[in-house]
Amino acid sequence: MNIYVCVKHVPDSAATITVEGDNAINEKITWLMNPYDEHALTEAARIKAAGKAVEIVAVCLGKPAAENTLRSAMAMGADRSILIETDQYHDSIITARALAAAIRKDGTPWIIFTGKESIDSEGMQTQFRLAQHLGLPVATNVIKINADSGGVTVECEREAGTIDVYRMAAPCVVGAGKGLNNPNYPTFPDIVRSRKKPVKRIDLAEQAIDRPAAGMQIRELVPAVEQRTPKALAGSAADIAAQIVDILKNEAKVI
Amino acid sequence: MTKKYDAIIIGAGVIGAPIAYELSKMGYKTMSVDKLPDAGEGSTAGSCAIVRAHYSTEDGVAFAYEGFKYWLDWENYLDHVKDEKGLAKFMNTGSLLIKSQGHKWQNVKKHYDAVGVQYKELTNEEILEMIPVLDLHEFWPVKRPEDPAFWEDPTKMLEGGLFCPEGGYVNDPALSAHNIMRAAEAKGATFMFNAEVVNIRAAEGKVQGITLADGTEIDAPVVVNCAGPHSFKVNQMAPGVWEGCNIKTKALRHEVMYCPAPEDYDYLNKGYHQSDGDIGCYVRPEVGNMYLIGSEDPECDPQEWVDPDEFYAGKGGHGRDNQLSEEQWKAQCYRLGRRVPTLQVPNQPKGVVDLYDCSDDWIPVYDKSDLGGFYMAVGTSGNQYKNAPVVGRMMAELIDACEKGLDHDKEPFQYKMKYTGRTLDVGFFSRKREINYNSSFSVNG
Repeated sequence: MNIYVCVKHVPDSAATITVEGDNAINEKITWLMNPYDEHALTEAARIKAAGKAVEIVAVCLGKPAAENTLRSAMAMGADRSILIETDQYHDSIITARALAAAIRKDGTPWIIFTGKESIDSEGMQTQFRLAQHLGLPVATNVIKINADSGGVTVECEREAGTIDVYRMAAPCVVGAGKGLNNPNYPTFPDIVRSRKKPVKRIDLAEQAIDRPAAGMQIRELVPAVEQRTPKALAGSAADIAAQIVDILKNEAKVI
Repeated sequence: MTKKYDAIIIGAGVIGAPIAYELSKMGYKTMSVDKLPDAGEGSTAGSCAIVRAHYSTEDGVAFAYEGFKYWLDWENYLDHVKDEKGLAKFMNTGSLLIKSQGHKWQNVKKHYDAVGVQYKELTNEEILEMIPVLDLHEFWPVKRPEDPAFWEDPTKMLEGGLFCPEGGYVNDPALSAHNIMRAAEAKGATFMFNAEVVNIRAAEGKVQGITLADGTEIDAPVVVNCAGPHSFKVNQMAPGVWEGCNIKTKALRHEVMYCPAPEDYDYLNKGYHQSDGDIGCYVRPEVGNMYLIGSEDPECDPQEWVDPDEFYAGKGGHGRDNQLSEEQWKAQCYRLGRRVPTLQVPNQPKGVVDLYDCSDDWIPVYDKSDLGGFYMAVGTSGNQYKNAPVVGRMMAELIDACEKGLDHDKEPFQYKMKYTGRTLDVGFFSRKREINYNSSFSVNG
């Protein structure tokens, strides 16, 4: 009855990203745990604290530096972690196969958490591919979860204002959404304890992964330049308010 | 057509604005120029705006204590000027100096007594009554998380602290400079923004005026360098000035972190400014119940001296540009995490990276120069925000005395402080001084 939390080591959303060559970024920036994975870990720790799970295992496919994210995961409640080491970027097809192989080999999953997406590639696919490989049910953008011995009831936020409620048999895969909880960040004593927790390193090349028939490659990375065209509005407060309404209605078309 | 003024002030931050204000009050027709779009938008905006009295020298303590009186009486100081942006607010939280090996607190206590600073000596138990979230073990010496010794368990306890009830911080440092600008304008001062100085013109050993990037020439017999982290570049533009300084300035990169206070501790409304040399940090409350965590520049931390233009353009790479670094985020938050064991440290760094205009001995240079009519209020080293209104008055009086014939290098100007009544030998801040080894060589001053 383990909870597995799949985490990703991603660039800080506040970092200045510079493209190097055709399809890489300068990696000398701050990297950290994908923010949605923080919600997953917080929820996993809450479920474990309620006495419902034996162990929380964080799993990550990444370069050796991704150990930092696993250390953060263990400070936030994971008992141990597995780093599937690689030296390159992988798409969600390989990622899901690697995570599935590592989890299958490690133990018996009860709930497998992922974030609902990663903030770098924003693919929103890994949780579904992972579930498919393991033959498990999956729900994503989960904002509420109730786990019992029979299974898991989740609330998933769809478009604004719409919530789906699902009942899934365990084991299952859950993609954590932002509304799930407030991340429970570690205190200094948590961090001290996490330093003694083990990280098991396995090599991606040595995993028994079926070669997929399809794959996705980054051919070219181009910086997105936001066009900002500020415009000063003149007139009385009432005039300006009327102009703003007109812009929102007719230019931006948001009201 | 060349415009003529009595004095040009380069920089409209919290040091330049009060000099313009005080000179205007004395009848000088002043022109302040700043390369940014508004007052206080440069390194002033990145200041933690701490108002505390503990400095390593008696004059330093007296100077800072004089400054308290201005912040406590802000509206009067501004002569009740209206600012459309509102007024900056002095948050009088009180200021706690933890007794530690990281501060020469015994000297501070002696200086407090000599100057008459109000303070109370606190035991650990009294500190815990005020701030129940603290762990008062001694963690000295300051270390980095990369050092295995950082993680060792402490064995000794601290020995209390000195609490100064009049201390605190200013809630919006950029706004405070803006307030002073409005007060100066009410006395006739002029401010010009988006105006970058590219040349200081001089003839026959006297300053003539400045030239801006767009070619505009402005003339004045007095030019004052208050360019903050760009101060050394401005000094280098003025013939003979840089060479004539024994104490030089340069720009030091500095990171300040925002970390949420523990949920059950109302730090914003019940917390204090705290200087904690034992962990090499100072903290003060910030909106959102945050701890604002500054570094006291412990020896184990890297010092990154950078080119200010490259820095503000985001160049220089990791640890040298204007982005927070993960290593320093962890260093400062984990250090505070030892002192506040319930502090939760987010994974994503949040805070401010800006520059100190730092002098060789971390004591500012408030002085004339080897070029007639050229003055400088530079090298404020991250520790002069609180003194700025006093600096404004002192510099204005120094400039006026020198323009009336005083040879400040031979007979240093004596500045009489309005509130404490003490006289300060302005020669203490001379560009010609030898390095002052009584300095803390840190932001503590």
